[in-house]
Amino acid sequence: MIRDITIGQFFPGKSLIHKLDPRAKILLTILYIVSLFICRNFFSLILMLGFAIACVLISAISPGLIWKSLRSIIFIVLFTSALQLFYNNDGDVLWKPFEDHKFCITTGGVYSAVFLAVRIISLILFTSLLTYTTSPNMLTDAIERLLSPLKLFRIKVHSLAMMMTIALRFIPTLINEIDIIMSAQKARGASLDNGSIAKRMKAMTSVFIPLFVSAFRRAADLAVAMECRCYTDGANRTRLKVMRFSILDYLAFAVVILLCFAAIFTTYYHFSDSLLFKAVLK
Amino acid sequence: MSTQDLLVFDNVSFSYNEDDENPSFAVKDVSFSVRKGEFLVILGHNGSGKSTLAKLSNAIFIPTTGKVFVNGMDTSLPENEIPVRKNVGVVFQNPDNQIVSSIVEEDVAFGPENLAVDPKEIRIRVDEALKAVGMYERRFSETHRLSGGQKQRVAIAGIIAMRPGCIVLDEPTAMLDPKGRADVLNTIRALNKDHGISVVLITHFMEEAVYADRVLVIDQARIRAVGKPREIFSQREMLKECGLELPDTAKLCDKLRDRGIGIRDDILTEEELIAEIIKRSGK
Repeated sequence: MIRDITIGQFFPGKSLIHKLDPRAKILLTILYIVSLFICRNFFSLILMLGFAIACVLISAISPGLIWKSLRSIIFIVLFTSALQLFYNNDGDVLWKPFEDHKFCITTGGVYSAVFLAVRIISLILFTSLLTYTTSPNMLTDAIERLLSPLKLFRIKVHSLAMMMTIALRFIPTLINEIDIIMSAQKARGASLDNGSIAKRMKAMTSVFIPLFVSAFRRAADLAVAMECRCYTDGANRTRLKVMRFSILDYLAFAVVILLCFAAIFTTYYHFSDSLLFKAVLK
Repeated sequence: MSTQDLLVFDNVSFSYNEDDENPSFAVKDVSFSVRKGEFLVILGHNGSGKSTLAKLSNAIFIPTTGKVFVNGMDTSLPENEIPVRKNVGVVFQNPDNQIVSSIVEEDVAFGPENLAVDPKEIRIRVDEALKAVGMYERRFSETHRLSGGQKQRVAIAGIIAMRPGCIVLDEPTAMLDPKGRADVLNTIRALNKDHGISVVLITHFMEEAVYADRVLVIDQARIRAVGKPREIFSQREMLKECGLELPDTAKLCDKLRDRGIGIRDDILTEEELIAEIIKRSGK
């Protein structure tokens, strides 16, 4: 179970998306998220979803993996959609179970529930693509470079990036360790899977305390190993991979900016599809 | 101290609690030197102080008394810290705790990056280092997907990418399965033979000492014996006192001798033993 976590994992490939400069990918992702929240109607939203799906296809990441990352958020999608369904009381009443109570489901509720679900799914599709197609180190490298202006305010950007690199590197190691500790504690008779939630939480301390102890030991070892490899504060480091924007990156920027404009255009120029949507429902 | 000596321990003592009234020493009055291109094995039982030696060799620890010199540079001077670590690379026991990056080639590049080597030159060094340890084909792999032996070879590549004159390996095979151990040992021997890198292998497995140019036995923080593998291996009593277990080949020789079969007492490897048995049975 615990090994199924795929968020933040990198799947090497040779697609156009893989070849984009990681800095460009981060900026484009931000731009996409902004566009996604500009969208107010289905025309623009379908456009965004379509773009996300197209990018997934170009990236050649297997659909199984995409499904895995979507599956992990399905509960959140359902939950927020359900809330929308009941809280939005605009439009015509579709279902009113209690005569004397305000509680009801309306067309407006259904509309915003579906709208939100599509928005979250697009968001996850596109953002998970960033981590799937970019090696964690390139990602932190890119963040380091994008944040480098903060050096003016004496923020240690390199140290932050190094912390992220190491954190990402140790995720699989620590997940593996949790597995081992859980098995070891179960073998000693700990019941981690039964009982009330409070009881289970309490039982988990027997997993987390050894985990923390081991994590600190690893940290101490790693610090020595890094010193052995001449690591100081990272002030004058060079890099194996030099980042340079190519035509591909400029093209990608052009496409996403166009998409952003399309979203604004379809949102603010009369394409009011809630009417259309209501017609479909009736 | 001659110019041929890359790493020199000059009467070194080290204590983890030097401020106490009765400091206990992890290393006491140790003197030895590592020559260029030499394969030195340091043998010691757990707690003999052998791991402390590794950390003393590249200025992670500074001797309490005595001096350590790397290429003539005193490790106790702060300005020598980086040049010393560039010249003497240390590989530790647990490969999981030495790998910095999630991708093999990016991890190997970590050392040269810290030394501010030009990116093109880093590329060359990373490829060379990975080829030297036989991990070039896996250069894009994620480090956590490798086996223990492969991880340890990546850790070694990370050190030799800094082009040190000498590598010190602190029980590099202790956490590995037999296959991984054999791979790592073959890699170490190849680095020594083909690339001329001096190797200091710290271990408690006696069979790893068979191919050494010189063996140094350490017990209770002090040097107990120095010599060629054959000389050391024949001192059975001393080895037993140091808590070291003889390799299977040597044990078999002893048993054969106990049965009155007069086998030469300087046999180290399986091949030698087989040859000897064939020779004797052929009579």
